[in-house]
Amino acid sequence: MHELSVALEICRIAEEKLGPAQVNRLVALGVEVGDQAGIEPDNLVFCLEALLGAPPFGSARPVLTRLPGDALRVSYLEVDDGGPDD
Amino acid sequence: MAVRTIEVRERVMARNDELAAQVRSVLRQSGVVALNLVSSPGSGKTALLERTLESVGEELDIAVVTGDVQTQNDADRLARRTDRLVQAVVTGGACHLDALQVQAAITALDLSRTRLLFIENVGNLVCPASWDLGEESKVVVFSVTEGEDKPLKYPKMFREARYAVLNKMDLLPHLRFDLTRAVANARQVNPALRFFFTSALTGEGMEDWYDFLREQVRACVPA
Repeated sequence: MHELSVALEICRIAEEKLGPAQVNRLVALGVEVGDQAGIEPDNLVFCLEALLGAPPFGSARPVLTRLPGDALRVSYLEVDDGGPDD
Repeated sequence: MAVRTIEVRERVMARNDELAAQVRSVLRQSGVVALNLVSSPGSGKTALLERTLESVGEELDIAVVTGDVQTQNDADRLARRTDRLVQAVVTGGACHLDALQVQAAITALDLSRTRLLFIENVGNLVCPASWDLGEESKVVVFSVTEGEDKPLKYPKMFREARYAVLNKMDLLPHLRFDLTRAVANARQVNPALRFFFTSALTGEGMEDWYDFLREQVRACVPA
């Protein structure tokens, strides 16, 4: 039920880290979710997909990692640097 | 496409917790103890507060912040029972209060006239467990009409709470509610949980509750 609030906060963190110049280059957003965090993972993915598919984001995908305990963190951001593949 | 990975490792609740710490600091400096009442809808939080305000509202300088998804009904009910300060937060769909809302609400209260602040959270045994509002303690309210396995079904809420109020005790003779099992279930989740057994309707058990509130107020001296 509160997954939308959590998803909004995750997106705020991503926007803050990336800034306006990079935010639409986000391709993946890693989130760690503990099994005691009070989060329904499918629900969180649904909310994140909706938010990350709309401006200011381009079409980033959420990647959830399940952990034991009550962790709830943004773990990493993957950004398209625009250059050719290494 | 060249993809670069940026390590973040930031707690999602960090900003809320920072705001909650600011709320806690303001309340402590003002000598106000705050209790966050959490429960499922219909457990009797508002009735418990109505009776509490009538009985010890003036004695303990109680103020209330109410949270509801829609309407100010709870705040209106409480305001009819007291001249004390009542501030409503309408969350507009959100299933819980957050620290930013409480921070805004307490700016509308006269903290110099307040020693005990109740935050009546949105009725919901899931979501409010995750949000620190700057309270001193969470108090989980549940009632004998709800089923004795509630603590096992909603363990996070019962773990987060320091105190439990089992309300509507006047209905106990009419129900097949196993009181011993309910308490055992709660203590299985949180062995330190301190219980109060009340009926906001008849007043049963309310004196113990008031004595507890007096203890809380006495113990809170301005920082």
